[in-house]
Amino acid sequence: MYTHHGEDIFVIDGHTHLWDASPANWRNKYGESWIKCFYTFHSSLSPAEAVWPFEKFCQYGGETLVDDLFCKGYVDMGILNSTYLYEFYLNGFNSHIQNNAIKAQYPDRFILCGSFDPRAEEAGLDAFRHMVEDYPIQGLKLYTAEWRDGSRGWRLNDPWAYKYLELCQALGLKNIHVHKGPTVYPLSRDAFDVHDVDYAATDFPDLNFIVEHIGLPRLEDFCWIATQESNVYAGLSVAMAFSRLRPQYFAEIMANLLFWLGPDKLCFGSDYAIWSPQWLIEKFMAFELPDEIKKEYGVDLTLEIKRKILGENAARLYGIDIAAQKAKLSQDGIGVKLATVA
Amino acid sequence: MLYDGVQCEFPPGYDGTGLLERLQPILDPELDESILQLGFVQSLHVHDGHVTIVVQLPTSWCAVNFAYMMADDIRRALLTVEGIQHVTVRLHDHFAAEAIETAVNAGKPFAEAFPGEGCGSLTALRMTFLHKGFTSRQERLLRALRAAGLVPEDICALRVGDVVLQGEACVVQRAGHAPIEVGAAETLGRYLARRAELGFNCAPTAPLMTDLRGHPLAVERLEAYYQAARTVRVSLEANSLFCRTLLTVCQPNTCERVL
Repeated sequence: MYTHHGEDIFVIDGHTHLWDASPANWRNKYGESWIKCFYTFHSSLSPAEAVWPFEKFCQYGGETLVDDLFCKGYVDMGILNSTYLYEFYLNGFNSHIQNNAIKAQYPDRFILCGSFDPRAEEAGLDAFRHMVEDYPIQGLKLYTAEWRDGSRGWRLNDPWAYKYLELCQALGLKNIHVHKGPTVYPLSRDAFDVHDVDYAATDFPDLNFIVEHIGLPRLEDFCWIATQESNVYAGLSVAMAFSRLRPQYFAEIMANLLFWLGPDKLCFGSDYAIWSPQWLIEKFMAFELPDEIKKEYGVDLTLEIKRKILGENAARLYGIDIAAQKAKLSQDGIGVKLATVA
Repeated sequence: MLYDGVQCEFPPGYDGTGLLERLQPILDPELDESILQLGFVQSLHVHDGHVTIVVQLPTSWCAVNFAYMMADDIRRALLTVEGIQHVTVRLHDHFAAEAIETAVNAGKPFAEAFPGEGCGSLTALRMTFLHKGFTSRQERLLRALRAAGLVPEDICALRVGDVVLQGEACVVQRAGHAPIEVGAAETLGRYLARRAELGFNCAPTAPLMTDLRGHPLAVERLEAYYQAARTVRVSLEANSLFCRTLLTVCQPNTCERVL
């Protein structure tokens, strides 16, 4: 919970991970390269006091995550974005199984994302059904650039992807987070192209597609698609991290998103542990659009809009009643601890 | 100065200006800036008509297709310099350096050298980024014209010859109107250079503002066109910023030059 002039702001961090990138889990050199690439993102954009040693960054554990999100980071609920990368990590990078360990401890604090890979074709449909039956999966995180048996990626509008999306509908899963962001070595750049979202969003109007990292570096393609498709949302992680070093660009990115998508389709995300919600939220709450940007774009980032971005929009997507959820959270282990400290 | 930051080793009496001039127009396709200005060229060595050039990209995981494109552009450009028979491009600290160098230095096409990358045609990719760069450069000029008080009717009526360079400034000079200063000379220069590169009519009587097909912009479309162009510019700038920020940890020395 962030408190602004005595008023509570409910925060849902739309993009969090509990990964294991420790050397013992590296399958090959790509496991090492991947986490080093993440570490570069982390260390280049975080404030000095928030930069971790590389060893901690490789594996930080559930209690560190709980502390950084809920105790220090103002977050009320986190969405765990499962990312598998079995070709780089022996046990996966942060599978739903790994993520569920922390979800099981604090069930009301987390929304657990599962995933599918359409390249598993028929055989994968059953495995996907089991995942949804066996784990408390409430959303999906799709990683179209993931390697698999020599393939360097897939597209949301592939015929098999449509079969899985049909199954999502049948299983009652509504929210599909799709990674469309900066290239992460060693993944191929084209697999992050954002246009496949356009097809899937048109053909599956009952599903919501939350484009994580707003398609950067393809902001214009993303804005165009999200303006056409009422069920396409913006996940703001990566963009948020610009707020500290380059507030002018952050202002322009936010102004563009507000101009094209409006305030109801933008969702906060930290991409923890790449960046920590504490400094991101403090910066964001203190941030105001400069007057010339407001004038140029005809938009504003008011307190009411910040409130939507930080939690209300994601709560709506996941059907969370904020008042009821707050009451519930005040009773769990973290809520009790926070009340004691306060 | 073109030589800034480039370690040059030439035979006695050799004038390397020609080499640097050929490198100057080579762009990082995504960032739409010269690789020389970006500080990517580390060293140039000439011996017996053979140039060896060492290039350092912003991060060791820069996409293979873009890295290939820059290396290939460099080789082709340098081979056009009189007296140069061989060019060897070296990529310093890049994960796929060896594969890219082998392909580029042997003149092997990208698709043949990297069949698994599935990036399609580099020509199409290059065109996409030339177009993005066009839109972004045009947006800066449009913004300057708007800021100087020109309305859509004025802007769409402008011909290439109506905007002239005066020292560091760019000035709109129309018959029957007082001259109006509209920002930096570089803004116009960069826009016109890309227009020419795309093969659009750059004669003084040609319309100043055209779309990506070279067709004049209509007054009633201008505002929507500008709004879309603005997002392209912000997207390119944000990407460039991301790369430059990553440089601060990857290449502490280079970052001082580009930030």
